[in-house]
Amino acid sequence: MIRMQNIHFQYGRRQLFAGLNLEIPQGNIYGLLGMNGAGKTTLLKLLSGQLFPTMGTTTVFGYDPTKRNPAMLEEVFHLPEEFSLPRMRASEYLKIQSPFYPRFDKEAFDRYCIDFDLDLTQRINEYSFGQKKKLLLSFGLASGTSLLILDEPTNGLDIPSKSQFRRTVASAMTENRTFIISTHQVRDMENLIDPIIILHSGRVVFHNSLEAVSEQYTSRLERNEPEGETVVFKEKVPGGWNVMCERSANEEETQIDLETLFNAVVSKPEAFAHTSAKGSQGGVK
Amino acid sequence: MKLQHLLRKEIYEGKKSLLIYSLTIFLVLFFQEMLGSIVTTWNGGLNITSWYDSNYPGFLFLGGFILTSVFFSTDMFNKSGQHNWLMLPASSGEKFLAKALITSIGYPLALTALFFVSSAVIETLAKLTTGDSMFLFNPFTKEIGWMLLHYVVTQSVFLLGATFFRKTHFMKTVLSLGLIALAASLVASVFARIVFAPYFTGLFQIVDVHFDAMMDISEGWLKTYSVLGQTIYWALLAPFCWAVAYLRVKEVQSTDAIQ
Repeated sequence: MIRMQNIHFQYGRRQLFAGLNLEIPQGNIYGLLGMNGAGKTTLLKLLSGQLFPTMGTTTVFGYDPTKRNPAMLEEVFHLPEEFSLPRMRASEYLKIQSPFYPRFDKEAFDRYCIDFDLDLTQRINEYSFGQKKKLLLSFGLASGTSLLILDEPTNGLDIPSKSQFRRTVASAMTENRTFIISTHQVRDMENLIDPIIILHSGRVVFHNSLEAVSEQYTSRLERNEPEGETVVFKEKVPGGWNVMCERSANEEETQIDLETLFNAVVSKPEAFAHTSAKGSQGGVK
Repeated sequence: MKLQHLLRKEIYEGKKSLLIYSLTIFLVLFFQEMLGSIVTTWNGGLNITSWYDSNYPGFLFLGGFILTSVFFSTDMFNKSGQHNWLMLPASSGEKFLAKALITSIGYPLALTALFFVSSAVIETLAKLTTGDSMFLFNPFTKEIGWMLLHYVVTQSVFLLGATFFRKTHFMKTVLSLGLIALAASLVASVFARIVFAPYFTGLFQIVDVHFDAMMDISEGWLKTYSVLGQTIYWALLAPFCWAVAYLRVKEVQSTDAIQ
């Protein structure tokens, strides 16, 4: 469904991607993780045709995103981290925006707005940032697009809204839909995003499901500093050590802590290259 | 169908500014006409000045150029505003056409209608209050027709400026036109120096000037260049500017956006 091949991209003289490859099949809620400046937002903009690569090809549903073909745009909803909304009522916004999406579901939109406690008769400019984000989320989920790209969707949401967000996204998920959620707030996304894509130093250093990781590794909190060859990652945390170890055959599978996995992958990308379904994908020269 | 949705979206989003602008025009016309009517009635004369015709070109050209210059700004070059426009499911051509139609056709037609309606309201009020004679704005004169045609051609340059420059579009377009005019006059000077060489004694000194004789010699040339100039102006300028502006819209990306 999404294929990026040999993508090169740079901001001025700063090379961000040099030969990045990524394949995203349909039907999952992908979590895109990476440190600040790793290129998550750039990658999402390349996917949605808002940025053009200097070299390489991208296809989304068979379309070249740089052409911004309406047929492709009807299938893609992208919620950016920063956005602006027109000064009008939410109901008016719906009236002018929804006709562009042929599969827009008004009933679902109303339902999501109720879930997010949004008043559609209120003017959008009177909404808080979090409410504006919830309006866009509701719109995106109801738009009927096959691909939803959400960049830091829980930033600006209050605590109840974050759990509501998880519930709503999970309920809106169908086998024909794909979500790509870029986030720093891994705790907000736990039990929602899977598979995980980790971007580091301009390349995809990890791309796999949590199930596949938990078959190979275990993560746990230990009181004393762990030693041994099986330890692939350890970090001191309040109350002990966060540890990620290779799982032995007789050991039970554990739920992998996303934050620990991310830290482990970023600290030793080469150690996880073999766990990625597609191997290490691309990199900065 | 998409174009219709886009036009509706553009008008919906700009309706508040549009109303304020329309009201401003109405009030400018109202105060000028009413004041003129009151003063002339007071003096016992007849009000023979119509402010509509003198105001119309200013609002048409200057207002239209400024409106055109800022019309692409948020959607193409604003960091947070650009996203919505780029991701809207419509082609670049449709998005461009919606904005181009509003600024090049919609604006002059709406302005002309506004002037006519305003004149009807104001003159009725003037007649009722001061008994002054009616002076309606007539949109169907030859002058208005020519002005509208000139507007469509010259506005296309500002349309190009609006898509080409990332900020201060209007000023940059005017400055660019100034530079182009300067370069054109330099070329024309050199051209004149070569064509009328026999009449020059120094580098740029002309003695014994007989313009009639000069025109006789150059009439054929001048006619050719006049036809060429008019062809460029009426047939090529607007399509060229529209085509380049469309290509600019097509290739705009996030890196073009500024804060």
